[in-house]
Amino acid sequence: MKIQNMPKVLFDVGSTYFKVYEEGQISHYFRDFTIPIYQDLKNKCHKTIESHTPEEIWICSSANGGLSTLIIGSSHSFSLKYTVNTAFNSGINIIDTMLYSDIDTANPPIEKIDVVIITGGIDGVKDIFDSRLFEYLKKVTYNHIVYAGSKDNIEYLSNHIENLVILDNILDNRLKINEKALKQYLTDLYQKDIMAREDIKPLYQITANQIYPTPYIVNLSLPYISESLDVADPFIVIDIGGATTDIHYSTDLINDNITGEGGYDRLVFKKLGVYKSRESLIFTAKRNEYVYELLNYLGVTEDIFDSNSKEAVKFLMQLAIFLVLYKVSRHHGEYIELKLDILNSVVLTGGISKVLSEEDAVIIVKFFYKKLLNFHNTPDIVIDRNYEIWTYGMKHLHKKDKT
Amino acid sequence: MSIFQREREIITRNEFVDNFDFIEIEEFIKSADKNLFISHHFKYSNKMLVQPRGGFPTYEKVFKLYEEFLQAGVDVLPLTIDSNTRLNDYATAGKMLALSEEDDVDMLNGYPLINHGYRTTRKMMTHFNKPVSLRHGTPDARLLVEMALASGIFEIEGGPITYLLPYSKNFPLDKAFLYWKYVEKLCALYSTYNEPINRESFGPLSATLQPPVIVIVIQLIEMLLSLEEGVKSFSVSFSQSGSMIQDIVTANVLMKMAHRYATEFGYGDADIHLVYHQWMGAFPYNKEYSDALITASTVIASMVKADKIITKTRNEAFGIPTKEANARAVASVQYTLKTLKGLPVVKDEEEEEHLETMVKDIMEAVFNDSADTLWRKVFNSIKNGIIEIPFSPHIINANEVITARDPDGNIRIYERGKLPISDRCFEYEKSQIKIEKGSSVVEKIIKDIGIML
Amino acid sequence: MRVVTGVVGNDVHVVANRLIEISLKERGFDVYNLGVNTYLEEFLDALIETDAELLLISSLNGEAEGWCRNLKALKSKYNFRSNPLFVIGGNLGVGEMDPDALIPKFKAYGFDLVYHQKDLNESLDEVEEVLKQRIEV
Repeated sequence: MKIQNMPKVLFDVGSTYFKVYEEGQISHYFRDFTIPIYQDLKNKCHKTIESHTPEEIWICSSANGGLSTLIIGSSHSFSLKYTVNTAFNSGINIIDTMLYSDIDTANPPIEKIDVVIITGGIDGVKDIFDSRLFEYLKKVTYNHIVYAGSKDNIEYLSNHIENLVILDNILDNRLKINEKALKQYLTDLYQKDIMAREDIKPLYQITANQIYPTPYIVNLSLPYISESLDVADPFIVIDIGGATTDIHYSTDLINDNITGEGGYDRLVFKKLGVYKSRESLIFTAKRNEYVYELLNYLGVTEDIFDSNSKEAVKFLMQLAIFLVLYKVSRHHGEYIELKLDILNSVVLTGGISKVLSEEDAVIIVKFFYKKLLNFHNTPDIVIDRNYEIWTYGMKHLHKKDKT
Repeated sequence: MSIFQREREIITRNEFVDNFDFIEIEEFIKSADKNLFISHHFKYSNKMLVQPRGGFPTYEKVFKLYEEFLQAGVDVLPLTIDSNTRLNDYATAGKMLALSEEDDVDMLNGYPLINHGYRTTRKMMTHFNKPVSLRHGTPDARLLVEMALASGIFEIEGGPITYLLPYSKNFPLDKAFLYWKYVEKLCALYSTYNEPINRESFGPLSATLQPPVIVIVIQLIEMLLSLEEGVKSFSVSFSQSGSMIQDIVTANVLMKMAHRYATEFGYGDADIHLVYHQWMGAFPYNKEYSDALITASTVIASMVKADKIITKTRNEAFGIPTKEANARAVASVQYTLKTLKGLPVVKDEEEEEHLETMVKDIMEAVFNDSADTLWRKVFNSIKNGIIEIPFSPHIINANEVITARDPDGNIRIYERGKLPISDRCFEYEKSQIKIEKGSSVVEKIIKDIGIML
Repeated sequence: MRVVTGVVGNDVHVVANRLIEISLKERGFDVYNLGVNTYLEEFLDALIETDAELLLISSLNGEAEGWCRNLKALKSKYNFRSNPLFVIGGNLGVGEMDPDALIPKFKAYGFDLVYHQKDLNESLDEVEEVLKQRIEV
């Protein structure tokens, strides 16, 4: 049993700004990119840091941009699904998947992968993988590789894959999910990744606690959200950032056979950001069947796609909200399907909460519900103006670690 | 405004809800006639209350059904909700209701309460001025229960376990606990306005060879979860097992333990009632036999001293009964009750002690879970198989326990799975089951399920 | 020997499903029961994850045909290492249909053995016999 200290000061260190929570107050600071994060933090919050012990300071961060994974699994309904679910909930941002039976035709990812996860089979199942896997892996560049599949392949895989980390099988002997070991591994890996980054590493001088992935913390925060915001289950949280869009959803919105227990699952749309992935956002929007009606409805013309005005940024955010809802609705099979008709609340957070007014958000959600569900009303919309959701989870971390 | 009230505002602001007026509803409940409250009848009635099952899609049909029931001498009216509403799919329920109203064909298997709304429904409830019981099977019944209470329906059946494990494959159990917590809080709040709102757990579970120990444990847990939120009137229930003595033993242990745990947890002021369900398994196709089975059930209900009996009909094997058949069953049960005077007191103390030991073993294991709230302890216990329901479709259910009947018809445990009952108790249970040579366990179970055919 | 079983489609016959599971366990199988309301893809995926030698799909509500029509096409996308035996049983048709036509129909969909309204134990005896012959061959 690990007895933790009561957190007194919380930091969320992001890539564009950082937030500090102290005595019920949240302050935000834009990053000064000319100096290292640690220096920046010390300059801006030296009083706070100096007046607390490292034990009292807790930090979460997404400043490393998140980790990327490639998941290789043997079936969509079991090993792949469980592993993707676990990876997203552990704070992984970029997930590529490959069904092992597609190995002859699959293209290895071009970008360097932080961690490759191989999974498949219940214990007792042998010979799932063959030499094609090793040939394929030669074409992938990665930092870490782990195996969370049938015990009976461990020896074979270990003999052929260097530095293969072995974890408990993600499938238990009833074909149910067993995610603990993988979740632990991925959050630890995140921490190691942060510790290895020159600019972030010094943060460990001010905290004695583990630095957690921000998305993982946001996920932990959701059971406590209604204590502070007017939000009722089932709800979704849409976190629109510069590069990616995160969505967290109540597990009763999905009809899926996963026996998780956090109450909320997470999913990331990697190409729906409003800055870094602006191009792909626009590309996706232009191909959407509702785009012209939407432009018309918002009273803007197609020129707005090429504009850099304040109005254009606002529009892109509205577009991102629409596309996220569209992609999780039953009109679109590519991602998971959420029962949006029973949704009670939509929470908007991230950069969006600085730009969009309540009204801007309501307008776009209304359009979606009218067009796609033929509803006159929408779920309640709440904007996390203070960007405080992450603090709820941070405050409970020390309790969680006790068990 | 409290967190709870804020949640209520969001829940009741819905595409299918027409202006939910909290203040008006509060006034309605404060001034509602005592006759609408079953808790009031429990207090002052000196007979077993008789309640049938039933519900139709349209207002008119439910109205006619209630008229029929009243003529038959009903004590408590049922309102059964359709299956779309149970899944919170109010859009489909609305479409099907419209079709049912147009063509006079029932396109729903119950009353879509959300679509009818509380203003309309309340008219019917106050017109008949009888206590009404809400029967549904909904994991997220927050809006439904808001609507029911606003309509003057002051008994709510169900619970996070009993309305989930027998019905759903994958609705997340942790969410069900939280949604039912809301229901309990709401019932507790409204109980302060007038007579208490009665909550009733659904003891029949999957209605197939349910061992009494599991039924009792789940009844006790749902009772505690409800009293914990401030509910003051609660009914535990179970259904006819197939053995009269087993039903008597179950009733005695259930009531004894319910009072004991309620007091131990500091809710000694709550009223606890016993509800008996007539045979919930497969009915014979012969209607005279069905009548006989219903009469036998009524006798057992009297022997176990139930406060309320929930009736079946002679049409059970043929689908949803007509209002006439349903009313006939009510009249017949009332008549049987009238004839049952001077019943003997029967007891089997050894069996009671044996059952009580098993119940305590499981309850102890639940309480010993490391979680900090009761619902989370129970959630973990179900996830670990410390509690499971035979024949549940839910993915979280352990599916290891096997039950069968002993030669007297008592349901016994053949495989205990991870139920934390002692070796001594388990060996006793198992040794009672006699399987004929050359017969398989499954053949035995099939026979034991179909004993009333 | 491993077996994957479950009830196909929107079918909630949990009692039958559980009895089949108990029967199979009694006969010594390692059973992977996917329960009620299971889709064809899930059955095939479970075969891949378990290397089961037997797939035993049941259907009680008479709607199996709609759910199993695509079996052949779907099967061709999988590379089963265990060469599983495909079996379906239960109440495979509703209404006025010709029961004799059912068996060839489901065999054409890709099932090796088809049981319509047959006794569970006798059917399982036969399945075991076929499995035994397969192993001997």
